[in-house]
Amino acid sequence: MLNAVLDAVTAGHGGVLVLLGGEAGGGKTALVREFCRHHAPVLWGACDPLFTPRPLGPFTDIAHDTGGALRELIAAGAKPHQVAVEVGRQAKGIMVLEDLHWADEATLDVLSLLGRRIGSLPMLVIATYRDDELHRTHPLRRLLGEVRGTRLAAGPLSVDAVAGLARPFGRDPHELHRATAGNPFFVTEVLAARGDDIPATVRDAVLARAARLDAEATTVVEAVSVAVPQCELDLLDALVDGAAAQDGLERALAAGIVEVAPGGKIRFRHELARRTIEESLSPHRRVALHRRALRAIPAGDATRLAHHAEAAGDAEAVQRFAPRAAEQAAAIGSHREAAAHYARALRFGAGLPPETRADLLERQSQECYLTDQTDESITALELAIKVWQEAGDRRAEAAAVSQLTRRLWCAARTEEATRRGDEAVRILEGLPPGRELALAYSNLSQLFLNDERRPETVAWARRAIDLAETLDDNAVIVHALNNIGTIELLNGDRQGLAKLERSRAMSERPGFEEHIGRVFIHVGWAMTRTRAYDLAPWLDRGIELCDELGLEGWRLYVQAYRARFHLDQGRWDAAADDAAFVLRSAESVPLLRILALTTIGTIRARRGDPDQWAPIEEARTLLDGQSELQYRAPVALAHAEALWLAGRNDAVDEATRDVLAQAEDRQAAPLVREVRALRRLAGIERTEPTRIPGPYDEALALLDTTNEADLRGALDELQKLGARPAVAIATRRLRERGVRKLPRGPRPHTAGNPGQLTRREGEVLTLVRQGDSNAEIAARLFLSERTVHHHVSAILRKLGVSSRTQAVTEASRRGIAT
Amino acid sequence: MPRYIVERTFDSGLHIPVDEAGAATCLGVVDGNAEEGVTWIHSYVTSDKTKTFCVYDAPDPEAVRRTASRNALPVDRISEVRVLDPYFYS
Repeated sequence: MLNAVLDAVTAGHGGVLVLLGGEAGGGKTALVREFCRHHAPVLWGACDPLFTPRPLGPFTDIAHDTGGALRELIAAGAKPHQVAVEVGRQAKGIMVLEDLHWADEATLDVLSLLGRRIGSLPMLVIATYRDDELHRTHPLRRLLGEVRGTRLAAGPLSVDAVAGLARPFGRDPHELHRATAGNPFFVTEVLAARGDDIPATVRDAVLARAARLDAEATTVVEAVSVAVPQCELDLLDALVDGAAAQDGLERALAAGIVEVAPGGKIRFRHELARRTIEESLSPHRRVALHRRALRAIPAGDATRLAHHAEAAGDAEAVQRFAPRAAEQAAAIGSHREAAAHYARALRFGAGLPPETRADLLERQSQECYLTDQTDESITALELAIKVWQEAGDRRAEAAAVSQLTRRLWCAARTEEATRRGDEAVRILEGLPPGRELALAYSNLSQLFLNDERRPETVAWARRAIDLAETLDDNAVIVHALNNIGTIELLNGDRQGLAKLERSRAMSERPGFEEHIGRVFIHVGWAMTRTRAYDLAPWLDRGIELCDELGLEGWRLYVQAYRARFHLDQGRWDAAADDAAFVLRSAESVPLLRILALTTIGTIRARRGDPDQWAPIEEARTLLDGQSELQYRAPVALAHAEALWLAGRNDAVDEATRDVLAQAEDRQAAPLVREVRALRRLAGIERTEPTRIPGPYDEALALLDTTNEADLRGALDELQKLGARPAVAIATRRLRERGVRKLPRGPRPHTAGNPGQLTRREGEVLTLVRQGDSNAEIAARLFLSERTVHHHVSAILRKLGVSSRTQAVTEASRRGIAT
Repeated sequence: MPRYIVERTFDSGLHIPVDEAGAATCLGVVDGNAEEGVTWIHSYVTSDKTKTFCVYDAPDPEAVRRTASRNALPVDRISEVRVLDPYFYS
């Protein structure tokens, strides 16, 4: 299988990403190593089981081997997108990324970027991961859902395969297969241990095998077991005294327990074995080895040093290295790892002075906030507030309280956020003015913005800017400017866009990433609210940028708004894909789930698909007393539309009444229009209709007309969209007007495309136009050649032509953009 | 996992040859569905071959539609269904 893929890549059919999953000890690594033995040169990088992984670990390994520009980039702290571009530039042959279940965020970002353009890179990327270690919200799951790659699974060995291995040892293959469940590593360990009984666990098998080593070899194996990810020879010399190292190493290698990795480092044949040996060490011996490692590893390698410091129980060393490792991780967008490093520093932080402890807590809170771990973020910041309180630092305390308002808001604790925002301003106004007060003003402005109260939003933001200007504090100006720009844009006032642009331009510097993400979220919010479709490019760009900057939560917001945008434009498949992605990923932010759930529910209701109520009901439950329109409006609109489509017109009034009143109070004209349109359809009010742009909404607006031609037009459009319940309503209204003969209309799934091509056929046509053969198209789109053949035949049939060349000409003539 | 009946209309009739090519076509669809966690159980085809009623296990209706679009199959209506067995009805 791998060989066939490699042949296709070498023949110039474009690159392929292979994702190889399997359980621990399932033979993934053995398979890849065996494959690569025949295909040098190979670039090889591994993620490592440090308590907190090295940022960009595997690419650091690869850069070490390639040297040159990639090495310089990574040494200089490059961001994931820069690394991806450079790897792409050097792409050639095979690249292996091992053990992605341990990967840091930045590594996954690079892989995700590579995955998206793999088709244009002459490279085979093989990525391995343990599928039994991925919990529901593991970041790798998101990547697997997003990247198109060929999936392989390293399954357990069959009884026959076990028999083949067991025969020379005179073992009963059935018994061995049953005890090991066919796990290849377990099988080989049992055979190598050569005992009479089959050990109960893989751990026992490893220990039985190690027990056969002599004292010197044992010393070496134990030393290597603490050195993660691998043990350099220098380090081994530092861990093991004198000549024992060399002799012991020879024998440990001969016994096959450890092996030499590319680059001359020593590693275990398998992580399971390493962990087993390390855990079997006496506490004294383990601590002593980690202490030695701590002294031997160069000071620049903060991540590894922090790991050994923790394992050695050396609080002072943890304090020295963990914060540094955190900063390094955060600088390249590995915010999850940064949060873990701060957490580690805090675990050993009992003796720290209060201001240092509070500072670490605030940093940990910020990193959690950036990665959608809202609850952890709040807990850390509340602890920091307590520390400041006890230390009697009122200014720092109030500043932290003001920051807390943003986290509380994300957790949908809106009222609490407002109360604490007021409290922070009150405390700070009692002290000499400083940047803390300016920021507290701006945070208060943000709370009013979220409630769409324009006068207060602008007033508090202006106060923030006035004060910040006297202090020359850009962070506050960036934040406050965004608030004003957003409230303007939400009201359909285009001046707001210029302010958002300026805020973004001022944010292009380290440490301001969050503000960049915020601009894109707010454009998404305002553009979907006002249906300003010309702002759509901001959505794609925003998702890309948030990925590059490691802003997980921010990206999901932009994607949730993109789902809504696709829905409004009648692209329901795309909308469902985006919304499903958000639902899979959103951990702790109710608003995100509400946006995605209402989109899914609306799509189902419009198509007449089953189960439209469940997502809408879940969204209603999540509302839980929320008063802001951005929460309530999507739920009310989705609920009311589903009710109307189900013929329950009488329930539409109650579903929309409160939101309508609130929207009028906030002068949210576009929202008022949408709610009124639904109420009109349900026969609750008879106001004059105003245009809501979008194919579905425009068709619905024609349903009330007495003009038969308009009604037919609406029917036609709704049929094309595949809006089954609305089609039924339109048909009924036409019949009521005495119209008898009605067209059945085109099949919905081919609708909306002038050549009646499906989305997939459109993609194939693009490649046909470039002159690609079926085999090339198959490789590009990860389809079989047979499927491509079917698509091409369908395209020819639909365009009424008989050759590929004619198809290209005919498509241009009909203006089919591909 | 919910079970769905998917109604499809084939204006020019659904023609799957009863040979290796036909088997390959069907299995190609089955493989493509697996990625979305969708299982095609079987289908009922009207005698004029213009309409099919296909039984699927799928995580949600969107997954059914995604596989339909990937396999270039039309979808008229998706209904969620449960089994009623007249001989085990008590």
